[in-house]
Amino acid sequence: MTHTMTKCVLFFIASIMASWAHSEPWSLQHLPWGDPDFQGIWTTATVTTLERPDELSELVLTPAQALAVEQGMEDLQEAIDNIADGDLQAGGDVGGYNSFWMDPGTRALRVRGEPRSSIIVHPEDGEIPYTIKSQLRFYWNAYKMLSRENNPEERPEGERCTVGFGSTGGPPMLPVLYNNNYQFVQSPGHVGILVEMNHNVRNVRLGGEPLPPQIKPWLGDSIGRWDGDTLVVETTQFHPQQFMRLAIKHQVMMGSDTRVTERFSRISESEIVYEFTVSDPELYTEDWRGELTLRRSAGPIYEYACHEGNYALPNILEGARQKERED
Amino acid sequence: MPLSRKSVALRHALLFITTTCALLMPIAFAAESQPTAGGKPDLNGVWQVLNRANFNLEPHGPKAALAMREGPVVPVPAKAVVALGAVGAVPAGLGVVEGGTIPYTDAARKQRDENAVNWLSRDPEIKCYLPGVPRATYMPFPFQIYHNQDALVFSYEYAGAVRNIALSDPGPAPIDSWMGQSWAEWEANTLVVHTEGLNGQSWLDRAGNFVSADAKVTERFTRTSAHTLHYEVTIEDSSIYQRPWKMSMPLYKRVGRDDQLLQFNCVEFVEELMYGHLRKEPLD
Repeated sequence: MTHTMTKCVLFFIASIMASWAHSEPWSLQHLPWGDPDFQGIWTTATVTTLERPDELSELVLTPAQALAVEQGMEDLQEAIDNIADGDLQAGGDVGGYNSFWMDPGTRALRVRGEPRSSIIVHPEDGEIPYTIKSQLRFYWNAYKMLSRENNPEERPEGERCTVGFGSTGGPPMLPVLYNNNYQFVQSPGHVGILVEMNHNVRNVRLGGEPLPPQIKPWLGDSIGRWDGDTLVVETTQFHPQQFMRLAIKHQVMMGSDTRVTERFSRISESEIVYEFTVSDPELYTEDWRGELTLRRSAGPIYEYACHEGNYALPNILEGARQKERED
Repeated sequence: MPLSRKSVALRHALLFITTTCALLMPIAFAAESQPTAGGKPDLNGVWQVLNRANFNLEPHGPKAALAMREGPVVPVPAKAVVALGAVGAVPAGLGVVEGGTIPYTDAARKQRDENAVNWLSRDPEIKCYLPGVPRATYMPFPFQIYHNQDALVFSYEYAGAVRNIALSDPGPAPIDSWMGQSWAEWEANTLVVHTEGLNGQSWLDRAGNFVSADAKVTERFTRTSAHTLHYEVTIEDSSIYQRPWKMSMPLYKRVGRDDQLLQFNCVEFVEELMYGHLRKEPLD
């Protein structure tokens, strides 16, 4: 009896200790050379768009609004998957992917638990503050890029496979319809950010010198530093052809000299708060800022070999040539 | 003039210090060369080969071009590459294959020779396709290793190729890919990287040497000094080779300003080659 009682008491104490251990607050781990540990695979997938939809006026969504935004995406996917049977009109739109091929997330963006109506947090209206001149340039460039099929260089970057769709590679790294995954890997003096689409690695040099101005890489030139436990990355010298970042979920015009400042703060085992500021007085009336949450994703990231299987670009060009021959 | 006793003593002291330093330097060097990441040699850094393996893994003399045709006296560069002159020539290489030549089956050797003749239309490097394994590592471009106790990633400058290397065996690759599926383990102080799941479309060099989708590639990285790695590769692929075969070469660490990876996103550089004929107004 006494023996059983002892066992019972010990079990009780062990259970309490285990529960204490389990509830121990999360703390940021550091790598052997002292840098905060941001390693792992993260995703930005969310149904929330970069700019705020017209029907929403406030940055923070009410629970009912968040639910409606999420339901909207579910309804859209349902509709895509249930297009009525019947003959397609010759020359008409044959449609695109069904929902199997998409992975835009199912939830509204939440930053530190707060549901959001847009990724942009400033300006307050949630829209990119183009100057009047650059707004007109944006429309003209978008029209050209989506309508011209004369030369491969005129098509959007996602179609050319130079980089992924829109601004998935960034910076800023913005969610698109699929493949919103990023792997962070670190070594002394470096943070590598592997962007799933198209297997681009941003090799962020901590405290490094900027590249000579003649070198303008895709995804720009990124220099990083630690501000306490926050990773701050400054990027500019963008490839001049990365100026129109067109995706279904965002359309952004940036320049070679646009400067993007990103701040990554790991707030839990499963979340990094990702804040960014975009500055370019030539294009915008003021700096604009956005916030996203990078959520821990189950890996691994598979190879996105875009160029090697690019049937779309030659077919778009060949289709245009065929149409010219018929006209 | 006879030297004073003091001068002789000074000379002896200097000689002693110099000799001692010379003897101790390799020890200090070796100690410096073995920094650790999680108790193992640290492979972090930007690395590159200094050889002609990407031209041809086997020993080869110099020649005027990779694409040749018959000439009135001797073979001459093919029309498509003649404008490149000396820039398009092939420098000699000692070869990196153990035993000199790759032990192909007869059919596979014939395939390799055909590949070489059709280099311009068949080499995936010309179209900026992902380089595959192991070619990525000995192309004449640097690559950066990110290495710590929780992660091992190789980021290559050429085509932005990347290998995310698992630290334990993940089982069979779920799908074939250009860069395959790799996982690593340590054998003493040698990092052993196993790769399978290649798609069989990669070449091994510009001379038409190739692997199939059945290939099992085992790479061994051994740190030999502060600035060198010994790189050894074994390829097993009974569908095209008579037996497993090996190649080996040193990898050199880039230092100073060169200790950074630039970008060689060649997709945009091959658009004229691949899609130029589809322009509304093709160029002459």
